[in-house]
Amino acid sequence: MRPGLAGRLSRFLVGCHPRRWRERYGEEMLDVLDQHHATARTVASLWASAVSAQLDPAYRTDRLSLARLRRAALISAAIAAPLALVLAPVGYGMWQDSYWHPAADEPLETAAFSPHTGLMVTAFGEAIDGTDVVWDVTDLSRPRPLSQFEGGQPVALSPDGRTVATITYHGQAALWNVTDPRHPVEMTTLSDGDGTQLEELAFSPDGKILAAARYDRIFLWDMARPARPRLLGTLDAPVTAPEGGGPIPFSQQDLAFSPDGTVLASATGTDQVTLWNVTDPARAYRLATISSLGDFIQAFTFSPRGNLLGAVTYHGAVLVYSLANPARPARTATVSSLLTRAFFPSGLPRPSETPLCAACSGLGNYAVAFAPDGHTLTVVVDREEMSANSGRDTIFDWPVTGSGTLGAGTVAARDVADFQPVIAPGGRTVVGSPPGSHAWHAWPLP
Amino acid sequence: MGVHGKFDDLGRFADPSLLILTSLSDGPKHGYAIMGDIAGFSGVRMEPGTLYGALSRLERRGWVRPLATDERRRPYEITAAGQEILAEQVMTMQQIVRVARLRTAMAWGA
Repeated sequence: MRPGLAGRLSRFLVGCHPRRWRERYGEEMLDVLDQHHATARTVASLWASAVSAQLDPAYRTDRLSLARLRRAALISAAIAAPLALVLAPVGYGMWQDSYWHPAADEPLETAAFSPHTGLMVTAFGEAIDGTDVVWDVTDLSRPRPLSQFEGGQPVALSPDGRTVATITYHGQAALWNVTDPRHPVEMTTLSDGDGTQLEELAFSPDGKILAAARYDRIFLWDMARPARPRLLGTLDAPVTAPEGGGPIPFSQQDLAFSPDGTVLASATGTDQVTLWNVTDPARAYRLATISSLGDFIQAFTFSPRGNLLGAVTYHGAVLVYSLANPARPARTATVSSLLTRAFFPSGLPRPSETPLCAACSGLGNYAVAFAPDGHTLTVVVDREEMSANSGRDTIFDWPVTGSGTLGAGTVAARDVADFQPVIAPGGRTVVGSPPGSHAWHAWPLP
Repeated sequence: MGVHGKFDDLGRFADPSLLILTSLSDGPKHGYAIMGDIAGFSGVRMEPGTLYGALSRLERRGWVRPLATDERRRPYEITAAGQEILAEQVMTMQQIVRVARLRTAMAWGA
């Protein structure tokens, strides 16, 4: 449904409420609709609200609004009937083409790529029992769904595109054989003997190691025989209670191997990123801990040469660390106030706008990636706090020097994806669910 | 009648009502601000029809009260009765979480 049509229908449906209801709530609801992006869901909710109010004895039904409701029903039927006749064959064809597309109750949550094989695995749903779909994305603008399975999320895809790792409903890591991507077969569930909820997964660049992390511990699995993985060792991330007591503020878990596979970075533990030497996974050890950030790391990534680590924090600061000596990471760049710039194009709130509070409790969705040549750092910011002039998301680019300093940032795009964004390999395509939709889409960046 | 009954009376508006009361518990807000706040702390994208359906029921029960309009925007604030019912509902939910944790033996950061 086009937003314009949805907006007009929504306003019409406000007039279908009983007169007493309209007198009490009509103006403020119209004000909300002026600021709200109306969709088919908006129309449906207002339709239900109008019917419910008409049946509510507290609002005496008047003839005029009842007549309007009948008129709305007739208009809806008049629009829907011919549209259904025209679109039914088209819709049937699209349904056939997108048969494996999940039924779209939930937006895209995460995506994993195997660039050399052209495969992508997506997980839908904010619940941990999300649906996983295997796609052929040789051409990202024309994805072809190959299969789907109920593996859970998040997901990781081995570089050779043969194995998918997921986190199941019960918080364990499961392995799926996708050698034939049209017929995924569950191979095994990894048992670490611990049983606590895992949060993140990552394959090493050569695919020989699978790292699975929970908030305070990382498990390293030998994937030489994916059907029979062997636990190589565990790494315990430091967990320290905050000064003065209170709950331990855990970071958003994140996990990534350096491009040469010798260093593993984890945002486990409290308020910190830990670097591990995994050259010999059976004898992995901690190299360094980047702590006292004063904020939680939400996403991070290695540069293509592995000499830099780019990260985004919960409150929207971009940090770059030099890993010239991985045992002594040195911060080379800090960009703060990213959220303000994401919301307010001029960089300053308008007088009528409420500036973002430092302790906002909203959800933050970020993605960060270096370009393949390492000369550009791209960050996607999608925040849930609403503001009259806020966009859905904002995508920033910074030029990166060899030493890890950042040049002047630019806004590459606005209002693209909604919910969790993912930057595809190559760094110039954002994958995510568009506003008001539960399908996914790929947006090429300038 | 227990808290369950009071909320059950709200039918399909029970969950939206809980979110609205939670949103208003830190101060008055108008309709669009309530929607934004709820999306922020819960990820739920409440539609205007649901919002005002729930608000009208909360107002009728005396759990929220409207304040003077600012142009077309009318802020709402939670009443003492609303705070009481919210506290009771949160306690019930805490009890559910406690039992769920025990029965599923999931260590949620504990």
